[in-house]
Amino acid sequence: MKQWIRWSGLAGFVVVTGLLVAFFMLAAAPLIKSSIEHFGSQAAGAQVSVDDVALNFSPLGVTLTGLQVADSEQPMENLLQFEQAVAELELAPLLLGKGIVRDLSVTDLRFNTARQVSGALPQADQPEQETAVIEESVAQEESPLALTELPSAEEILAREPLRTESAGNQLQQHFSQHQRAVDETLAKVPDDQALTAYQQQLQTLLSGDIKSLQDFNQRKQKLEQLKKQFQQDKAAVAAAKQAISQARTDIAASLTELKNAPSADLQHIKSKYRFDAGGAANISGLLFGEQAAEWAEKALYWYGKLKPYLASDEASGETEERQPQRAGGRFVHFPSDNPWPEFLIRRAQLSAPALGGFMQIEATDITHQPALLGRPARVVIQGQQLTGVDDLNLEAVLDHRRQPGKDTLTMAIKDWQLQPVDLGIAGTQLSSARVQLQGLAVLAAGQLQAQADAQVVDAQFEGQGKTQFAKEMARALAGINRFDVQASANGKLTSPKVTLGSDLDKQLNAAFQQRLKEKQTELENKLQAQLNEKVQSYLGDYSDELTQLNQLDGSLDDKSQQLQQMASRKLESYEDKQKQRAKEKQQQLKDKAKDKLKNLF
Amino acid sequence: MLTMLAKLLKALNSESAPGQVALAFSLALIVGLTPLFSLHNLLVLLLAFIVRINLSAFFVAVAFFSGLAFFIDPLSLSLGESLLHNSALEATWTTLYQSDFWRLTAFNNTLVLGGIVIALVAFIPLFIISRLLIVMYREKLLSWFEKLKIVQVLKASKFYNLYRSLAD
Repeated sequence: MKQWIRWSGLAGFVVVTGLLVAFFMLAAAPLIKSSIEHFGSQAAGAQVSVDDVALNFSPLGVTLTGLQVADSEQPMENLLQFEQAVAELELAPLLLGKGIVRDLSVTDLRFNTARQVSGALPQADQPEQETAVIEESVAQEESPLALTELPSAEEILAREPLRTESAGNQLQQHFSQHQRAVDETLAKVPDDQALTAYQQQLQTLLSGDIKSLQDFNQRKQKLEQLKKQFQQDKAAVAAAKQAISQARTDIAASLTELKNAPSADLQHIKSKYRFDAGGAANISGLLFGEQAAEWAEKALYWYGKLKPYLASDEASGETEERQPQRAGGRFVHFPSDNPWPEFLIRRAQLSAPALGGFMQIEATDITHQPALLGRPARVVIQGQQLTGVDDLNLEAVLDHRRQPGKDTLTMAIKDWQLQPVDLGIAGTQLSSARVQLQGLAVLAAGQLQAQADAQVVDAQFEGQGKTQFAKEMARALAGINRFDVQASANGKLTSPKVTLGSDLDKQLNAAFQQRLKEKQTELENKLQAQLNEKVQSYLGDYSDELTQLNQLDGSLDDKSQQLQQMASRKLESYEDKQKQRAKEKQQQLKDKAKDKLKNLF
Repeated sequence: MLTMLAKLLKALNSESAPGQVALAFSLALIVGLTPLFSLHNLLVLLLAFIVRINLSAFFVAVAFFSGLAFFIDPLSLSLGESLLHNSALEATWTTLYQSDFWRLTAFNNTLVLGGIVIALVAFIPLFIISRLLIVMYREKLLSWFEKLKIVQVLKASKFYNLYRSLAD
């Protein structure tokens, strides 16, 4: 047996393995440094640099000093940087090439710091950036509250096309047309003087003795000529009556339209210029919309960066690793309380200055193989010594153990002293307030469901505007001390439907409703008065003219009647006249004879 | 340092009995068919150092079997997959998986398990066959071995000169 064993070989083994270990230990720090810089730059799309990497042996770990990650969109800025990060590694998984960090401690983490030199990568090395998600994440909609001040009645009447005016113009046009027609027809109608002359002529013709048959014939001829004239005059009167009737109908219709126009105009103006308080219903959007959009943009940016690493095995849902087959086979994992993913940070503690204090960030179970780990990643952020915020707590649970992943964020902010917020309308601002905020957001299968409730107390508003609207706004806001705000975002993560509502809106609504009602009534009265004035300016003359037309129509009726009567008069025939005379003489002779006979008896 | 290592190798290489060379081949088969940086290979290396085998044959055989592994790997992977997914063995694997030591052996790696099983199955047959061949053709094999280029390169190195000076 002894001849099979050589104990000196043990020393050789120790030396060989010792040399190998020494080589790796010497090479490890530069390898880690270059790996972080190379792969980090690829991931960030901008320069990633580390000042120094040192290996620690008790406990086993790595210390990174002076890490800077440049912002790919603004190369003269760092996306983040920290002074020092100490990672405590687990030896056993490390021997299998698995990076399991038991504890990671990052101090003086800062975001968006200035750089001395550009952090842009050379163009060829720059990977494509997934910026679309962030760019399109928050759609900025124009505020519906475009009402800056109430326009005056004069301004509205000047800028709006009015039916009153068009109806007035139509009336004028109709009247002038008909007036011309009536004047033309009236010119052909005999006047009173002509009618008197007709009477005299008739009298002359029809009275007096007819001396002879020739005299009779002459009279008859003249009478016929007169009658012809009467017929022509009657036709002229009828034409004039027709023209007047037409004029009267058209002008009456135009007048009716003109009289109705102001109310139609008022209705149109009221519908267009909605002086209800609906416009103020989005005031909470003005108060918090911009800030919320900014936060959402930042959150989405970081989420977009982290998501590929958090959910790399989401699609398969397997608990096994995917590796190139020849490179080293494939690890098959079995149920365990202590699984070893390829990369895992069991616990990370970060401290970042913010709002005059610090954000203490604790992250646990961060891995790209959550299904293997069996636990979701958690990130807890607590504010400490913050200026203007008593207490801030954020907890994110990133659960990608199975498909689809589900990310949950809960948020609670206590006694947040709001900085002055410009409402952006009428020079009004929320000068101070305390806010209590609770929020919950759930993201699953790319669909976001987020809800936040804020209670704003000790609210003080200030208004600098000098317009009527600004004054009204300031007056309405002055009485509001506390209000609640509800925000929600639902739909696709890239384009969620964001709604902001609050009882500030309701309170403002109530205040505005009253004031606006008064103002609206006032304005409506003014509008009505001015429209009426316009109507009167058209109506004043034309109603007189219409009356005159009516009178003229009556006088034409008289003339027509007279002409009719005159035309109906006849000249008795000469023979009948002689017969009548003979009868009269016969009667006279009879009467004389009777008188004489009476005298005889 | 180099002197000490050369002394060691001289002492080690003095054993070149057929069984010692055959065992070197069999041990090299394990290293060659499995990923180099594995815990079991550390054990094999330890064995290779403390058991009186021909180290030159061992290292040359490691290089040879590593090349051969490119052709055998698909079989190793497939065997590893089927063993690790064998429901009859699942309880065993799960038990082993709870231990950090066994996990360090990377037994749950398809290439490691498949490769080591093939190597262990072939270990004794390879030992017997290679020993027989060495016995039968000792002379030819040694002369062939000495002519190998890699051996020539090793012999031309400063390290080998040092080894020879010590050996002489």
